[in-house]
Amino acid sequence: MLFVMACLIFLAADLWMFSTVRNSFDKTMVQNIKTLAVAIAHSAPEDPGDIEGWVSGLADTYKGYSFYYMLGLPWEDGFREAGGDEELKKYWSEKQDAPDMLEALDSVSYLESYILKDKPRIGGLARNVVLAPVPNEAGDTAVGFVIIASDASRTSSFARLLNALMLIAFAIFSLGFGVATFSRDPITGYAILVLFAIVVAFVAFPLFEAVRLTLMREGKFSLSVWKAILGNTQYLKALWGSVQLGMHTATFSTFIGFVFAFAVARTSMKGKKIVTALATMPVISPPFSLTLSIILLFGNNGLITKRLLNLQNFTIYGLGGLTAVQTISMFPIAFLTLQGVLHAIDSTLEDASMDLNASRWQTFARVTLPLALPGIFSSWLLVFTNSLADFANPLLLSGSYRVLSVESYIEVTGMNRLANGAALSILLLLPTLTAFFVQRSWVSKKSFVVVTGKPSTRLSDLANPATRRIIEGFVVLTSIFIVALYGTIVAGCFVKNWGFDYTFTLANFSEALTRGKAALLSTITLAGIATPIAGILAMVAAVLVVRKNFPGKRILEGLIMTPFAIPGTLVGISYILAFNKPPLLLVGTGAILVINYVIRELPVGLEGGVATLRQIDPSIEEAAADLGADQATIFRTVILPLIRPAFISSMSYTFVRSMTAVSAIIFLISARWYHITIQIYNFSENIRFGLASVLSTTLIFIVLLVFGLMRILIRQSEHLEKTVSTR
Amino acid sequence: MAMQSVPVRLEMVSKTFRDPKTKAEVHAVRDADFEIRPGELVTLLGPSGCGKTTTLRMIGGFELPTKGKILIGGNDVTYLPPNGRQTATVFQSYGLFPHLNVRDNVAYGLKIRKLPAQEIDQRVMRALGLVGLSELASRSPGRLSGGQQQRVALARSLVVEPQVLLLDEPLSNLDALLREQMRVEIRRIQKSLGITAIYVTHDRIEAMSLSDRVIVMKNGYIKQIGSPSEIYERPNSVFVAGFVGKVAFFPVDFEAQDEKGFCLCVLSGKKVKAGHKAEGAIPGSKAVIMARPESLRLLPSGEGIAEGIVSTKVYLGSSMEVFVTTSYGEILVQVDDPAEKRIADEGEKVGIGFNEALVRVLPQD
Ligand SMILES: Nc1ncnc2c1ncn2[C@@H]1O[C@H](COP(=O)(O)OP(=O)(O)OP(=O)(O)O)[C@@H](O)[C@H]1O
Ligand SMILES: [Mg+2]
Repeated sequence: MLFVMACLIFLAADLWMFSTVRNSFDKTMVQNIKTLAVAIAHSAPEDPGDIEGWVSGLADTYKGYSFYYMLGLPWEDGFREAGGDEELKKYWSEKQDAPDMLEALDSVSYLESYILKDKPRIGGLARNVVLAPVPNEAGDTAVGFVIIASDASRTSSFARLLNALMLIAFAIFSLGFGVATFSRDPITGYAILVLFAIVVAFVAFPLFEAVRLTLMREGKFSLSVWKAILGNTQYLKALWGSVQLGMHTATFSTFIGFVFAFAVARTSMKGKKIVTALATMPVISPPFSLTLSIILLFGNNGLITKRLLNLQNFTIYGLGGLTAVQTISMFPIAFLTLQGVLHAIDSTLEDASMDLNASRWQTFARVTLPLALPGIFSSWLLVFTNSLADFANPLLLSGSYRVLSVESYIEVTGMNRLANGAALSILLLLPTLTAFFVQRSWVSKKSFVVVTGKPSTRLSDLANPATRRIIEGFVVLTSIFIVALYGTIVAGCFVKNWGFDYTFTLANFSEALTRGKAALLSTITLAGIATPIAGILAMVAAVLVVRKNFPGKRILEGLIMTPFAIPGTLVGISYILAFNKPPLLLVGTGAILVINYVIRELPVGLEGGVATLRQIDPSIEEAAADLGADQATIFRTVILPLIRPAFISSMSYTFVRSMTAVSAIIFLISARWYHITIQIYNFSENIRFGLASVLSTTLIFIVLLVFGLMRILIRQSEHLEKTVSTR
Repeated sequence: MAMQSVPVRLEMVSKTFRDPKTKAEVHAVRDADFEIRPGELVTLLGPSGCGKTTTLRMIGGFELPTKGKILIGGNDVTYLPPNGRQTATVFQSYGLFPHLNVRDNVAYGLKIRKLPAQEIDQRVMRALGLVGLSELASRSPGRLSGGQQQRVALARSLVVEPQVLLLDEPLSNLDALLREQMRVEIRRIQKSLGITAIYVTHDRIEAMSLSDRVIVMKNGYIKQIGSPSEIYERPNSVFVAGFVGKVAFFPVDFEAQDEKGFCLCVLSGKKVKAGHKAEGAIPGSKAVIMARPESLRLLPSGEGIAEGIVSTKVYLGSSMEVFVTTSYGEILVQVDDPAEKRIADEGEKVGIGFNEALVRVLPQD
């Protein structure tokens, strides 16, 4: 009851306020037209012969207005229509006896301008029509009058905007007030509303715009974009190129990842920690850095290809080089997944097998491998989707080889064909979604690993000494290769002109840092702004997902997670489509970059927060509520301290991933808000490898620094984790 | 820490959950309607899943009733969130804040209330003294024993001087000895503060020894409310009789009530009498006679109301429990002062008789 009353009162106030605004706006507009009419009427020439020239001159001077001039008044002798706009003439002949028109003529005879009450459509547009008297020299009688028509559509669109604003204000008020009165927990209500608003505006809306664009042609529904794309062999080649590259990369990565995981989880190899740390480096290393070092080593003027071997027909650009770079940067994904898989397989099973007189090889082939197979397959799919979404590596290294992500970038920025670009990046979603659903329906059903329960900590050496040496050798060589790649980048900083002049220099530093300073600063600033926002939002979302029940929870969760699955190029393209126009004109601002960082890193933060929160006994929070804390206080004093590790790691990932972003932000940067990775790309494209190396090295340093800091901060709260759950 | 005692009242409160997977409705509490008097300690007793926790959580504000009203001190609090009501809960898993030490745990509620630091200090130390934990004020809860954690939880709830104290199986994580000690402790503190308390347990001994009144629940229904002796001696259903203590049941035809109030029944063709009856038992229908072990006695074979063979004897010092296998199932007979009597050996045939004044006729379930 109170609610309805309050809403009605607000609605009344709302209506009154907006109608006042609209009226005063109308008034000033009418005033303007009248002033204009007087000015025009006074400029009428004396000589009736000049009239025609004057009228056509007026139409040229005042664009958007049309005029019709008449000498004398209709009831006087000698009244005649002097001429002007043809459509106004028609209008006059139709309406000259209408009551409103008669009144207008009356006013004119008293030397007063009159604005017609209705807004007639003339020439297809709504018009404001004014009758303005033309006075004689003495200024006491009208010698004639002008009919002036001006475009009213602009004002009516303003009125429509006002109406929309009024409705929005009312909706916000009643929603907010409703939440506050009807919910026992208004803060949660507001949090849900805010999160919904964010994901609808920055996930659903842009994607919708992108899809809409591919289905429209000149304002009508049409499949012509898709027909053009699917009928073009160039684009299909790019699709196949992406898939082919994905399959290559996934296969090699999974193989190497498995060998590494096996060495760590199933042999007594030494130096496991170092190997693990090294193998995870490529995941967090900035884009372009590995590509850059591959080019430095194996490119056309590469250290190995040219200087050492002097190869002539070798090129690193293309499928081979891409597979190599992607494999190095993505095998850690497979490694981490498979390490988890192998750890989860109870090694008592293998012991039992050997106890039953199976050889190590037989045990591996008949017990370990079958058990790990679903895990192996899902790691393959994971790498596959990552390879498809990869944009940075192909951008530098694809040469004449075509992949979809780069193709859609070229369509948008090179050809300015946004619809095609959007369609191509949507096409990229197809294999990704297929992989996702295969994973969902098939792999998870096939998985035995979860059944065996507690992982065993004891280690059984599942490789005989000879095999073990081969595995170790492989692991060590791969690790050395990774180290060498990073070493190359560092070396690149100190070389005058890589490929031609290998003399030592420090000049790269000053030049790179001067030219890259603005980009570096703007990147750090924006990533720094995005980090706490993403961290807090992710944790709030995690609390809502784990602890609260509300209608639309699944939808909210789904929308937050969506950016995780869609390729960055699609995100970037949909953002320029959605935010280059009101009401959210954001293209070119720093805000669009911050929003992009936040939206893209929310999924990871949410997952981390959810996982941690599930471990925490809900009665801890209930106890706080019981002792009088409201939701916001509980979040601040209990939940945040308890999920601190997830909070910190989510923030550091956001920061690092924002610093190293490429695929989406390459569409969104502006001269004012540039990005360091794009600067690296520009230097590389212009063969300024020294400068690119310096910036890459700087970026690697920042990333390592942030992760080091995160480690320290998390270690401080480690004691908590053991006592968090008393259940 | 003297507190003002208030009554708690539930008016036709029901709670229905929807199973998240099967979407089936679960009636956790049905039409609960009772009043707890100021300063009283009442236990909610019942088997697992009968709705005890749900009832308590609705009073604490953690769940919203599907139907009905909850009043604390005469005020309708049905829709108030937990932080809006004067209740304090001691959780089964304690819910101590792991990132705060004992002192800060206890001070939490006072800090939320923005009391002056000095008063907070005083009240925290007093509360810790009350539960005997003054020495451990700066420990973190992770390094306390179960009983100590439990007492921190109690102190944390008491320090905010709630009108109603809610306890959800607070002793279930403790070993038997500690459990007994803490039971006494809780009762002492509750009495000295005069606070209204609701205590959830599925342990009948705990319920009997602790409470002013017991509410017995089953499948979401409240089966009986009464003092411990009432529900032990005068249960009004087979379920309550069986749940609150050991008991033997004899199915009978309840024929009539004589002028002295004795119930005349027929048990397998034999006429028997019972001292009282439950309200639901109506003359002229089938009924059940309940007999507690202490109202039964062993007789020579052929005498009494039932025949059986002694299966096990358990010597308890002051008494002996004798299990007799009969056609009515295994019946427990308590024999007092076992040293002074000869008691039939295991395997021996015996008869069983009961003390007519103590047994009770119950309606059939
Ligand atoms: N959040 C929930 N969603 C669905 N069903 C629930 C929920 N909470 C409780 N239930 C169901 O309601 C019924 C009563 O649960 P409640 O926790 O009150 O039992 P209880 O008497 O406290 O049992 P216990 O002695 O095992 O703690 C049970 O069948 C339980 O499965
Ligand atoms: Mg319970």
